[in-house]
Amino acid sequence: MNEPEISRRSFALLTGAAAAAQVPLPGANALTARDVATRLQNALGGDWPTTGPDGFKAGNPETPVKGIATTAMATLDVLRRAAKAGVTLVFTYEPTFFGRQDGPAPAGRGPAGLTADDPVYKAKQDFIASNGLVVFRLREHWQTRPQNDMVTGLAESLGWAKYRVKPDDSLYEIPAATAEDTVALIRQKLNLRGGLRAVGDRKARVRRVLLHPGVMTPATMWQRYAETDLLVAGEVREWENTHYAADIHTAGEQRGLVTIGRVASEDPGMRACAEWLKTIVREVPAQWLPVGDLYWRAV
Amino acid sequence: MTGREVVDLIKKNVGVPWNEQSYRDTFKLGNPDSTVKGIATTVMVTFDMLKRANQAGLNMVIAHEDTFWNDRDETKDLTANPLYKLKTEYVLKNDMIVWRIHDHMHSMRPDFTVVGSLRSVGVKGGEDAVMRPRIYTIPETTFGEFASQVKRLTGSRAFRCVGDPKAKVSKILLGPGYATPRMTAEADVVIGGEQQEADGAFDNVEYVADAASLGMAKGLIMLGHVISEQPGMEDLGNWMRTFIKDIPIQYVPAEEPFWT
Repeated sequence: MNEPEISRRSFALLTGAAAAAQVPLPGANALTARDVATRLQNALGGDWPTTGPDGFKAGNPETPVKGIATTAMATLDVLRRAAKAGVTLVFTYEPTFFGRQDGPAPAGRGPAGLTADDPVYKAKQDFIASNGLVVFRLREHWQTRPQNDMVTGLAESLGWAKYRVKPDDSLYEIPAATAEDTVALIRQKLNLRGGLRAVGDRKARVRRVLLHPGVMTPATMWQRYAETDLLVAGEVREWENTHYAADIHTAGEQRGLVTIGRVASEDPGMRACAEWLKTIVREVPAQWLPVGDLYWRAV
Repeated sequence: MTGREVVDLIKKNVGVPWNEQSYRDTFKLGNPDSTVKGIATTVMVTFDMLKRANQAGLNMVIAHEDTFWNDRDETKDLTANPLYKLKTEYVLKNDMIVWRIHDHMHSMRPDFTVVGSLRSVGVKGGEDAVMRPRIYTIPETTFGEFASQVKRLTGSRAFRCVGDPKAKVSKILLGPGYATPRMTAEADVVIGGEQQEADGAFDNVEYVADAASLGMAKGLIMLGHVISEQPGMEDLGNWMRTFIKDIPIQYVPAEEPFWT
């Protein structure tokens, strides 16, 4: 860290850590969800616009926090595990309420719209309320960390952290193996079920792997494919990137694409988030609750 | 007959006003005034499919999706791309023509992409289906059995399911390709090709996973774009044969691109 240029973020990080180290006095005000969020917001920096996706989504921010969890997506299953583990505050990377609106929204163009009396929405809200949970979405401000935890977290889960080619990039040079064996390793390390799909030659030799958790655009693929043996992405559009990967295969190039599912690709980055939270919030425990692979495949 | 004349006949017979503003339904490659020896219909004009069409003597490809790996077929960032050069040169060298029909297929009555997709998964009664999805009732079965039937009928290796395989289902809602419908109160199973997994207009994956956690009989099947939307391109070819009689028209399916 550059001494004269202590950023607002790192300054807050230091002061946050100092504050966290203090033992709360008996009778002092309990740490609330809002206190934790404020500490996190100061540590990460940024503007936190109310129109953006990040912020409180459910529950009462004034609730005293007994435990914190991070997750790629606050599914009902994740929330049940959170409640069972004594967690109060959940940080989720993806929406809780089935869309970018993260709550009831009027039906618009296309298949949108969630009514306030939707049975799944109501049951989820009821579960959150009756268990005293608080849910906060943390996406854009988590992504802005220069450490790029979504990428490094995924690399760590795959056992590839030490193979990073450049410290600020998502290219990894792993021990050579066939595409088939590399894909099998990804499936096993991430505990995937039906969500993994691969394109290209099974026998291609893989050494250079580009990790792209979340959504990969065609432009990224066109730019990076030539230097990559295997692209590992969360999700793509099949008539764009998958089509490109199929054509590359037909052209005889030994390069492949594997999509592992958006949420499955984001799970490891939120484990990194829990580890980081432990460094700024020391009064209560923080843990990672993986979503896992939501898909299965018929036999 | 030239490529342009083929397209003019389609425009005349399509039954809806032609929207000249559509950036999708245009010539993508080749000379529209070349003579057409044979027509191939397909969902995805992959390089592999192009080669098979050419080998079969079909020099005009009518595809539902894009040629250059982005929806608008924007090529300004691709001029130095070796794959772009290879695909383009192959089409030009073999005097092939590529034309896309997407938007107008989805406003046709029926919409062949929906008709074909319903038929391919064994759901009856969709012969007059249009883009706007509606519920089809099948004899009650479990979601797992239904998914196995879909796998058997479509031959798909890589389609994905969410929901409880033991749930009893009978109400099916289907949209082809990227037009996966949102789950509704009435539907038990939603079938689509692909869709954004999260953070979209309506996140089916999370909704169906949560509904299943609550014990509700809800299931989601994503077939993959090619498997989902391709069958209707055979119907398109059959329809074209009613007004183009002197040129061979063949359905040349694209391969499912995935292994697992």
